[in-house]
Amino acid sequence: MNAMPVASLTGFRYRYPFGTEDALDVADLRIDEGLTVVRGGSGSGKSSLLRVFNGLVPHFHGGTVGGRAVVRGHDVITTATRVLAGEVGFVFQDPELQSVYPTVERDVAFGLENIAMPPPAMGARVGEALERTGIAHLRGRAVASLSGGERQRLALAGVLAMRPRVLVLDEPLSQLDEEGARSVVAILGALATNGTAVVVAEHRLDQLGLLDARTLTVKGGRIVDAAALQLSRVARMASPSVARGAQSTIAWRLSGVSSGPTRTPILEGIDLEGRAGEIVALVGPNGGGKTTLLRTIAGLLAPLSGQVLREPGRVAFLPQNPMALLHRATVSAEVAWTVRGDPPSGDAAMLIAELGLTHLAARDPRDLSTGERQRAAIAAVLAGEPTIAVLDEPTRGMDDAARDALCRAVLRMRAAGTSIVIATHDKNLVAALADRTIAVGAGAALALAPVAVA
Amino acid sequence: MNPRALAAWSISGITISLASGNPVYRVLVLLCALNVLVALRRPDVSLRGMGIALVVAALIAITVTTLASHTGAHAFLALPSGIPVLGGPLTIEAVLFGASTGVGIAAAVLAAAPLSLVLMPNSLVDALPSGLARTGAAIGTALNLIPGIARSATEIRDAQRMRGWRPRRVREWPDLAVPVVLTALEGSITLAEAMEARGYGAGPRTHYADVVWGRADVAVCVVAPAAAIAFVALRVAGVIGDWYPFPDVSLPPVSVAGVACCLALAIPALVWRR
Repeated sequence: MNAMPVASLTGFRYRYPFGTEDALDVADLRIDEGLTVVRGGSGSGKSSLLRVFNGLVPHFHGGTVGGRAVVRGHDVITTATRVLAGEVGFVFQDPELQSVYPTVERDVAFGLENIAMPPPAMGARVGEALERTGIAHLRGRAVASLSGGERQRLALAGVLAMRPRVLVLDEPLSQLDEEGARSVVAILGALATNGTAVVVAEHRLDQLGLLDARTLTVKGGRIVDAAALQLSRVARMASPSVARGAQSTIAWRLSGVSSGPTRTPILEGIDLEGRAGEIVALVGPNGGGKTTLLRTIAGLLAPLSGQVLREPGRVAFLPQNPMALLHRATVSAEVAWTVRGDPPSGDAAMLIAELGLTHLAARDPRDLSTGERQRAAIAAVLAGEPTIAVLDEPTRGMDDAARDALCRAVLRMRAAGTSIVIATHDKNLVAALADRTIAVGAGAALALAPVAVA
Repeated sequence: MNPRALAAWSISGITISLASGNPVYRVLVLLCALNVLVALRRPDVSLRGMGIALVVAALIAITVTTLASHTGAHAFLALPSGIPVLGGPLTIEAVLFGASTGVGIAAAVLAAAPLSLVLMPNSLVDALPSGLARTGAAIGTALNLIPGIARSATEIRDAQRMRGWRPRRVREWPDLAVPVVLTALEGSITLAEAMEARGYGAGPRTHYADVVWGRADVAVCVVAPAAAIAFVALRVAGVIGDWYPFPDVSLPPVSVAGVACCLALAIPALVWRR
């Protein structure tokens, strides 16, 4: 361990503007070269802590700050974020909102332009970053045409092009497929080995468990534990499936369906069905057509050919971006709007409690952390006993406890006869819930081997 | 193709189309601009939407002028004088003046169109002088947010529909408008945060795509502005005549010098290749 830490916080306290309590209260923290994993539940202060390392807290967000924070010799409290950007790279949670330019290579070059790199040298740097993140083939593509996972790798490429000495990542694997996550983990491992300080907050710890790492656990804005990284437990939640072995009714059926958001089909000749009281998981690579298939099942996308049948009743749809749903003043009002009842009662009230939202019910959904927002959005769509529930990446930004709560709610709905379809990269979720798994990619959907029930 | 040269050409085309009310010169500018668009537009660009919009704009200009202007020697219909504003004779002169106005609008729009339909997005922003680089990047980023807002509006509409939202009255539209506005604001803040984290505003910037000048670019940059300056000078000197159909319609005057100035605007299609 070097005598000089890469970053250190001493007696550091921070409170957001209009906050009633400190968001961060860190007595003593030292970050060295290598990989540091930041753990903690939704709303624990992980994202705030990460933002200290490049000065977004306090410079961008304002508020009151005390104590001392030093990164690579710079006093964070007196050094602007834009100056720290030459040393500290930051990959944000939401890749859709990080692209500055409309094309891939221009977007990667944005940071290099800001540090006034001579144009002839930029091309090589851009190419190197694209190669390293496995998206060299997307170089000339429009950013708008990329899938969520491809955008996540683009965000990483944009930061790696600047060759930062400290790399901070907030949930960098949340939208990546298995292969993409492995390649990003390999990149982080190589950087950490070569002397970069990599600080990452990530719930998919099973991926990061492959690496040597130090772990910090954040709770209520305080560092409560520092230890070696341990793998998260993967467990299947045993629950009687109404569908398995039973002749339950068909809830939805696709017959010879071709589908896509434009006239060019992404999926062709799809024959699939889902039963009442059954959970079907859609897995597959980024950009493979999972979201297209989900939207077709939900009725948001008309098939280009073929036939889609659905049982009468409400279809609940959770989009990838929970903010598309949340616009009421409180979480409770948001759920009430779906069931047209104020305050929510019965099933809706149970769902709020089940998802651990009772203490947040009176809060504005937009003031919540990413994981809390996701749970609020799930409560908002699943309330009211839908016939079919279609969920796109429901565990995005969720910690283990929140995922367990989601699993309990979904299993209860399955028992009540709801047909559930989930598109996910989360292996743990598939293992815990799926009655059937469908691999979606290359224009087709193929059934995988059934999951054994414990 | 140099964005600065194309910008100089566009300004020249707009100048000529607005410097005279003579429909002959306006039609010539329109044809030159159309030629440039057809020859040089990006492969992913369709001209259909813009074409329809321009035809509609021209028809509106003709209709409004015809119905509101009741002067001219050749009346072809008379509306009852009791109708406010619209009542009175409708004349061939008014129709022709409206058509000339419509052609002028179309020519000016088509002269500006290559900046967005020929160049890649942000090329023009990249071509701004270094003193305006930060402002240009901010403008480019703001423009980049627009398609995102449109996408999020669709996403929000779909999500709300799936929760039973069926707007029947105007007062129910805030259920869509409020989240769209809030999401756009949040998106802007997050993007600003991401830009700051990548060093935006740290000091002087460079450009990934350095602006290069070729012979063809120089030719466009010299010929088009020279033609515009000559046209304006000749117009002021009275060599290039204007046209006004009232009170009695007449053929527009045409000068060889004026036609030559307009045809010089065809130069991009001659020297640039896509």
